[in-house]
Amino acid sequence: MAIFFKLIPHIIVWFGVVVILLRGFSGRRSVVVVASGLGLLVGTVGVFALRSLPGLSPFIAIKSVLGVCFLLLWAVSVAASYRTADSGAAFPWGERFFSSSSGAGVVTVIVTLIAGGIAVCKFSGAETSALSFSLLALSAGSLAYFIAYAARFIEKRLPESFRVSQLGMVVSVIALLLFSSSSILRLDLFSPLSMKVMKGVHDFVHQFMESILIPDHLFIRPPIWKSIGFLFGKEVGFWGGLVIWFAPVLLIVLAINSVRLPSVAHIRQGAQRRKLLAGAIREQRLQLVMPLFSVVIFAAAAYQSSFPSVEYWDPKPLPVTANPAGEIVIPKKGDINLEDGKLHKYLFKQGEREARFFVLQTPDGKLTVDLDACAICKPDGYGQTEGSVICYYCKTLIPLETVGKPGGCNPVPIGFSVKGESVVIDAMTLINSWGATVQATARVKEGGK
Amino acid sequence: MKRLFRALIAAGSSRAVPPIVIGLFFLFYIGVAFFTDETLITLMAFTRRSFFLAALLALIPLNCALRIVRQTTLYLNVRRALHGKPVNSQSELFDEAVELPASTYDLPELEGRLAAVGYKTGRSGTALGAWRGISVFPARLLFLIGFFCLFTGILITTTTRTANRRMVIEGEPMPMPDGTGGTVERITLANASGLILARTLAIEVASSNSGYGKRTFGLYPPTLYMGSFVYPRYLGIALYFRFSAPDMPAGYETHCSLNCYPPGKEDNVAIPGSPYRIVFSTPVPEPGTERYRSYMTGDITLQFKVLKGKDVLFTGSAPAGGEFVRDGYRLALPDIRRLVITDFIGDYGVLFIWSAGLIFVAAGGIWLPIRAFFPRREMLLRFEADLITAYSRAEGRSRKHAGVFHEVLDLVDAKRDE
Repeated sequence: MAIFFKLIPHIIVWFGVVVILLRGFSGRRSVVVVASGLGLLVGTVGVFALRSLPGLSPFIAIKSVLGVCFLLLWAVSVAASYRTADSGAAFPWGERFFSSSSGAGVVTVIVTLIAGGIAVCKFSGAETSALSFSLLALSAGSLAYFIAYAARFIEKRLPESFRVSQLGMVVSVIALLLFSSSSILRLDLFSPLSMKVMKGVHDFVHQFMESILIPDHLFIRPPIWKSIGFLFGKEVGFWGGLVIWFAPVLLIVLAINSVRLPSVAHIRQGAQRRKLLAGAIREQRLQLVMPLFSVVIFAAAAYQSSFPSVEYWDPKPLPVTANPAGEIVIPKKGDINLEDGKLHKYLFKQGEREARFFVLQTPDGKLTVDLDACAICKPDGYGQTEGSVICYYCKTLIPLETVGKPGGCNPVPIGFSVKGESVVIDAMTLINSWGATVQATARVKEGGK
Repeated sequence: MKRLFRALIAAGSSRAVPPIVIGLFFLFYIGVAFFTDETLITLMAFTRRSFFLAALLALIPLNCALRIVRQTTLYLNVRRALHGKPVNSQSELFDEAVELPASTYDLPELEGRLAAVGYKTGRSGTALGAWRGISVFPARLLFLIGFFCLFTGILITTTTRTANRRMVIEGEPMPMPDGTGGTVERITLANASGLILARTLAIEVASSNSGYGKRTFGLYPPTLYMGSFVYPRYLGIALYFRFSAPDMPAGYETHCSLNCYPPGKEDNVAIPGSPYRIVFSTPVPEPGTERYRSYMTGDITLQFKVLKGKDVLFTGSAPAGGEFVRDGYRLALPDIRRLVITDFIGDYGVLFIWSAGLIFVAAGGIWLPIRAFFPRREMLLRFEADLITAYSRAEGRSRKHAGVFHEVLDLVDAKRDE
């Protein structure tokens, strides 16, 4: 039952997608109904089957497809703007494809396949039996065709004035898919986008300043340097991410709004001219409905991504001390079982210096000791969720399989040894590692969450 | 051949070129991001090494140059057309063209009507041109030139930039990448009262044997000297010291450069062939006092920590010319000089990027008031035997302009009815 409630938003997205496709391909309704049912069924069952195969993760594939969809939206929006600015430009092959039956079928199958795949990723765990697989196939098939016919029933009753242009269809369908995926951490695009923007801006500003030979901070007034420092923060990543997130849909809105009104100079009756222009303006406004609806959906996706309703496993760091030989010894079993696959956080203090770290057993059974921080972000620490740990600062998900490997936003690994039934860490190495790789990234005193 | 050339020119001057090229680079960026965290640096390195990527980037300045020519031709043709002179493909110059059958017309009346709504008119033979406002062409031209300069600068910087880091030391010759410059006479660091710079730095260099006169290098904009921009980065100290220990009676002396500013920052020197290492730093001044006072005055005291292996033997401090002796150990600091860690940058692309910045500011300064308050609106009426062809274009307030245009056409049409 809980699963069903979790799936409700995705089912609403399925329904919305099919209604939009039906209205967008209004001359090919039968094709859309059949193709959408098929797409949803194959997407659901296919991704479920992939999840159950060992060593295969559909998450990366679906996330990549969503990334391609977003890039496609960018390309479409730039083309639309270009077309508006240069009225001579046309993309007839695209229009021909969209208005053909095969075009309608192919687009519908691809879109609904992705929508079905996203919804299945909401299921936790990957245990599958022949019975559960058959049940899923049966229920997914019934639900898919029920939704397809219900959408057709509703769509027929929508007013004629509600028209969905090709542009409106592309933007709203992609918006709905991104909204659907934003509720699943491993499929979400907005947070990784924000993080990439943050790093991209950081690199760009640094390179730009070097390129135009700007003096170093010691020569610059602190307020000015602080303003430049602002560009390196996560706020810039968030706002920059928002700009990239919303830009394609806003470009489409602008493109529709900037379409030149038809020439009425050949008409000599003022009233007729005004009527024609009013009709064209009304048509233009109707075309704005779907892009504006998409703005709302994009905003909801960004919100859902920024405030995910996911609970992280994030234990309070336990204080540890070093023995006279300068070693921190943590028993593998005792009050805490280090081999339970969960993140176990510790805090080591030496005078005024301190270091936060965690011990974790990765899915391949190996123990790893890492700083509760990476070498890039402010040391806000990590939380654990299904199959990954998340950097609280930049919201990057790091698969558990790669924890213990250095680089990027991965936690900084620390050398350790296993002596008997204990994990042994060199205190000096730990504290120096924290100082060297972490404090350089900290703009405020660390504290974790 | 001529047709192919025209097609190439048309493609090269298309407005689609910059977004396509930038889009492709963006895709490369995304691709590189999958493999490394140093994405931008890696992409720049690829572009430097790859002829294909450099040529792709070069399409943007080329496109800008072609568009400058195209826009200028377009602008001149519109001007010619408005003054009644014949031009090719007239309808392509305007947003809208319409033909009206008419045999009679009253030009003074039309001129009067247009003048009443603020349009200037010009009559030439059988053509009447009317216009209002100022064209944004100068701003557009500047914008294109700025874009050209920016991407030419980026291209030159990415493909040809060289950087050599050297220590510029008081009393020593300027260590240029291609030979040596004049002697560095003095390095001066002082507080500044500017809006952006908190401190100024001046490196005074005497005349060189290679024909360069006496020069002073500041912070910004960096000065070009012997083909390289002198780009001061960090402050440091050039130290000459002598060290001897009970197990090293012969002692050791050397010149070294220490990157130990801001105060408190440590740099170290290992004594070769021995377990000794000396960690130097400059003392952190009292809160509220100038942090770089020692560098500004040249009155530098160095703190030091002598280590044997991992053990700290002793710590202390000594000014220039001072000496520290303890338990058979002796550390003397006969000479301390100021140095500036300086990059010598061989990159003429910087000049283009700076120019682009200035040109963009000028373009924006021209475009904004014109577009907001005086957008250009134009119309042209050509009277032939029994046909009037009317053309119209507007850079802003197009709805209002369209109203005037329609009204003029109505006037012409009314004459025909009479």
